[in-house]
Amino acid sequence: MIRTENLTKVYRMGEVEVQALRDVNLEIQDGEFIAIAGPSGSGKSTLLNMMGCLDKPTSGAIFIDDIDTGMLSENKLAEIRREKIGFIFQQFNLIHTLNALENVALPMFFAGVGRETRLKRAEELLAKVGLEDRVDHKPSELSGGEQQRMAIARALSNDPEIIIGDEPTGNVDTEAGNVIMDILEGLNREGRTIIVVTHDAEIAARAGRTKRMRDGKVLD
Amino acid sequence: MGDVFSLVYRNIRERKGRSVLTILGITVGIGAVIALISIGYGMQESITAELIEMADVIMVTPMSMEFGSFGAFGSFTDRDLEAVKRIGGVKEAVAMRGVTEDIEYRGETFRVEVVGIEPRDMGAVFGETVKLEEGGDDGGGTTGRELRDNDHKACEIGYSIAYDYFSDEIGVNDRLTINGSKFRVVGVLEKQGGFRSDVDSQIYVTTRDAMTILDNDDISIIFVRVRNIADAEEIAAEIEERIDDNHKLDDFTSAMTMGSAVEQLEFIFGTIQVVLLAITSISLIVASLVIMNTMLMSVMERTHEIGVMKAIGAKNRNILSLFLLEVGVVSAIGGVFGCIFGVIGAHAMSFGLQTALDVEIAAIVKPEVLLGGVAVAMLVGVLSGLYPARKASKMSPVEAVRYE
Ligand SMILES: Nc1ncnc2c1ncn2[C@@H]1O[C@H](COP(=O)(O)OP(=O)(O)OP(=O)(O)O)[C@@H](O)[C@H]1O
Ligand SMILES: [Mg+2]
Repeated sequence: MIRTENLTKVYRMGEVEVQALRDVNLEIQDGEFIAIAGPSGSGKSTLLNMMGCLDKPTSGAIFIDDIDTGMLSENKLAEIRREKIGFIFQQFNLIHTLNALENVALPMFFAGVGRETRLKRAEELLAKVGLEDRVDHKPSELSGGEQQRMAIARALSNDPEIIIGDEPTGNVDTEAGNVIMDILEGLNREGRTIIVVTHDAEIAARAGRTKRMRDGKVLD
Repeated sequence: MGDVFSLVYRNIRERKGRSVLTILGITVGIGAVIALISIGYGMQESITAELIEMADVIMVTPMSMEFGSFGAFGSFTDRDLEAVKRIGGVKEAVAMRGVTEDIEYRGETFRVEVVGIEPRDMGAVFGETVKLEEGGDDGGGTTGRELRDNDHKACEIGYSIAYDYFSDEIGVNDRLTINGSKFRVVGVLEKQGGFRSDVDSQIYVTTRDAMTILDNDDISIIFVRVRNIADAEEIAAEIEERIDDNHKLDDFTSAMTMGSAVEQLEFIFGTIQVVLLAITSISLIVASLVIMNTMLMSVMERTHEIGVMKAIGAKNRNILSLFLLEVGVVSAIGGVFGCIFGVIGAHAMSFGLQTALDVEIAAIVKPEVLLGGVAVAMLVGVLSGLYPARKASKMSPVEAVRYE
């Protein structure tokens, strides 16, 4: 379960203050598939970054499985990102010097998983997202849709409970977007919590619940 | 570990130009240090090898003279020689009468040191190391012989006198004119070089000839061998005292044991080496700055990549070790190249000293120095990489979501 309590984020750029999040209270149950929609600049990415432990709030708190993440050290936060959360980015963010297998195995390397185990599991994960014959390919040799599937396989590397996607279909065409949503739905059926930001109403409709945001607030 | 090394390897390869620069920096620094150390060992060994055989020697000279040169007028007397011979522990004492004379051969004239010595004493002075040349350089010459007590107007000449000074080579039985008198060459000495290179440019005649024909009565050097090396310093002090007493002078005599000569030379070489090493370590500092700079640039460039790694769960120390591994590999490569470069450099220096200065100093490459070189390279690399790597490791995972 993820719960935010009066979550507030203020960006300061010199004199200007931007209130990216204002007192956000949101509860996401285990196994939910939730979509977050809203106009550009409404704070969707900011909220996701907080929930994914990539950034820290200005005030308020985020609880993951009833752990107050604000109390955790940088190392512990890294462990949560590594073990509990799989992040999928709009820009894929794959390591371009590594091939598919190595990219997918990387989070397991950081987790200290042995080489043989992690390469075997990386292969399985690539098969799971339909990239079994792209194991040796570099990200630049793959289409956008394939790269995003590689990124999903990487997100699954340490078998996380939560998958967070910030516009995971934003950089691919509709067809590839649907494939990605199919995969995410499959992961949800496995019992994982899925949180995605999307502009696409059709995609949002495939989620169990949709939350709308505006001006840093989550609407009811 | 394999895929991590491939990550490191690819990062190094991706930034080929910069990696090469870093490797080059380390190569030059380590190479210079290794070359100098190897030549330094060569120097030390040449000192000990040449002088070990003379460890029981005391050279007695008037203070005004410099070590090993007969430039000044000899000023000891036969009375001094006898006094030295009477000192307990002295095995042999040999008088050498050296003076610079005009030497003429086939119309050419040079000024050369001519040393008068009792032929039977030559063995004591030359020991095993100074020998007659056999059969001449190109095989055609005649093997000469040593000077004999009853030789008259005969001389033994140094290698350079025979081959370098005059346009025509001088061989056994040739005649040269010393101070107007004809002398016959009975033997040519082997090339000495190094610390005995003075022998190469000297002519030896009998004491009798030196006194009667060349009119040189002054003893310029008393060459002493002691029975027991351990007593050498004590005996040297006594020699100085006795001769000073004879001349009623203070500090007139200098009796130098070879042990102290070795110490002096070692001190001089040691100092030279320390200074050179200090200079070369500047090149290591430069290399270290190059590494720091290239690493910082690479960290900046990889901000996004580092952010991504942290976003997918890398801890600070994961990033730190990745960067340190990278710089460690690059510096190790630099260290290995530095060793190769250093060994070549040491041999080149040895060759250069041989051809330019005619000093034979071998390059002595010790394996532990090479290992140390690689270790120092890695140490310098990792230390200079520490700051950039720490900077990288402290980067925030939100960098991952910023657009490039
Ligand atoms: N690093 C930052 N520094 C300053 N302001 C920021 C930063 N990140 C976001 N903001 C501001 O915070 C507000 C919310 O941004 P956020 O990226 O969360 O919006 P979003 O809903 O994801 O928009 P989009 O749909 O365009 O991705 C915006 O006004 C944005 O300009
Ligand atoms: Mg956004």
